[in-house]
Amino acid sequence: MYRIVTSIITFFAVVTLVFFLSRLTGDPLAELANDPRITPEVLESIKRLFGLDKPVYVQYIDYLKNLFRGELGFSLHYMRPVMDVILERLPYTLALLVPSITISNLLAYRIGTELAWRRGSRLEVTTLTLSIFLRSVPYFWLAIVFLYIFSVKLEWTPLYGAMSPGMSPGLNWEFIRDYLWHYVLPFFVLVFRETIAFLFYVRSAMIDVLGEDYIVTARAKGLPDKVIKRSYVARNGILPIVTILGMRYAFLIDGAVLTETVFSYPGTGRLVFESIYNRDFWLLQGVVVILAASVIIVNFIIDLIYAVLDPRVKYG
Amino acid sequence: MGVQAELSERLNLGALYEMWMVFRRNKAALTGLILFTAIVLMAVFAPYLAPYNPYESVGAPFQPPSDKHPLGTNDVGQDLLSELIYGARISLFIGFVAAVVGTFIGTFIGLSAGYFGGLVDEALMRFTDMWLSMPTLLFTIFLAAVITRIGTFPMLYGIILAIALTAWPSVARMVRSAVLSLKESLYVEAARAIGVPSRRILVKHILPNVAPIIIIEVITRMAIAMLTEASLSFLGLGDPTAKSWGMMIHYAMIRNAITLGMWWWFLPPGIMISLSVLAFMLMGLGLEEYFNPRLRYKEQ
Repeated sequence: MYRIVTSIITFFAVVTLVFFLSRLTGDPLAELANDPRITPEVLESIKRLFGLDKPVYVQYIDYLKNLFRGELGFSLHYMRPVMDVILERLPYTLALLVPSITISNLLAYRIGTELAWRRGSRLEVTTLTLSIFLRSVPYFWLAIVFLYIFSVKLEWTPLYGAMSPGMSPGLNWEFIRDYLWHYVLPFFVLVFRETIAFLFYVRSAMIDVLGEDYIVTARAKGLPDKVIKRSYVARNGILPIVTILGMRYAFLIDGAVLTETVFSYPGTGRLVFESIYNRDFWLLQGVVVILAASVIIVNFIIDLIYAVLDPRVKYG
Repeated sequence: MGVQAELSERLNLGALYEMWMVFRRNKAALTGLILFTAIVLMAVFAPYLAPYNPYESVGAPFQPPSDKHPLGTNDVGQDLLSELIYGARISLFIGFVAAVVGTFIGTFIGLSAGYFGGLVDEALMRFTDMWLSMPTLLFTIFLAAVITRIGTFPMLYGIILAIALTAWPSVARMVRSAVLSLKESLYVEAARAIGVPSRRILVKHILPNVAPIIIIEVITRMAIAMLTEASLSFLGLGDPTAKSWGMMIHYAMIRNAITLGMWWWFLPPGIMISLSVLAFMLMGLGLEEYFNPRLRYKEQ
């Protein structure tokens, strides 16, 4: 119950921040006013239509009311409601994010545990050095290099998009193959980068566990390494890792914004780039609200999972 | 030894020499320092190093590398090597100012939360955690878009402000936990007991002792700020009159240089960003070792 309340408060804080930041810094129709096709009379009627002639606090209440009805404004580039545009793109992004966060975190969990176990070994030092190098590389540029190698040079994967032109989604083999063909490279970039970023955290969480008394006891009892590693270290190390999964999800959203832009993947992330390019401010605002809401929901779910994993935690 | 004496000792040449010794022994930190120096020199001497003025078109557009233009030319015939060299100035400048401002905000919030505790701490940390849980880049993009909509605000400073405003939360958390442990130390308690006002305790006794953390944070923030700046510019949120490395890649992308395989356009700026970020990360590690001697002797 407590968690629900804080989630709702966070959501309102974000939404309020977005509203006031965007209203205080400029006329929401500034982009339209510069358009030569729009006469002052038309601008005036648009203003009335959207209630922009009312005082700011009335606009704020209207904005909240509209949010509850699932309305996020109107995209001036697509000439459609923002919500429709986002909903159309959201499945592509979710189809990228959910599998990649699952796989990369499982990978990081396995590798990180192993690294902590073999602390000080050559393998550990090499992996850590390599990951410092890779983390210095800008996310989007890594994606560009992959695109250049695999799509431009080797021509293994397509140059852009989520499906070939003229292909329509359906449950047939041809479509699924085409979809996966477009999917594999952006997916790989996300998994690759996320695994590297998360590895460090898992490793240090596991090293902390290794110093605990019960590990010493287990060793003293003469338990085989395999059992200690699996049932003692990995099991207990999972708690601090679950806590930051929400943050990992947020990081992956940032990654999706960049990766989808590089691969021209028609997801919500690419909408960010498009809305900047087309000066479609309301669309950008809508994307921020929707993605922030998804982060809050994910954090909420993670808290519930945490309570199941750690019986000491009880949320009242 | 008094805090003041300790501080002055830290700032004198002996300390600098000791820092140099740490850097010399630590190969990674030394590499970082050398890389950093090279990039700064490149930025400073850009007018002497660059073969052309990067803002003038000096040849036919879309040229591949040649003797005249070692990295070819862009879509309007500007020399890409000159653009790359001058880009160091913009990228470093934005990264540096954003990191300093962001660390300043974070230090201020962390100090206040840690020292005053209670409700102030609760409120500030809730806010910090909320900020931390959000997708940072997405919010920086939104802030940058919002700020740059104000037409009169110079775009370059708008970007810097946006990066600084999202860079502070982790600094605030770190400074707060440092202050919390310092607050319990004997000399702070003594100062409070003799009635030194809390502002003076903060500035004279606590701040100098969190200084090492702040210096390391500025350097680490610098790496992150440069990455954020590159991402923003890449997405089109940059100042077209002051091209950074990220901006070069942005133009390469929207002019299809990637799909046309013009590697000389989009590979060099990415390499430069990576090297600069690496330099700051490595130096950060080295400094951490200097300020935290327990780390220093572990590797030997």
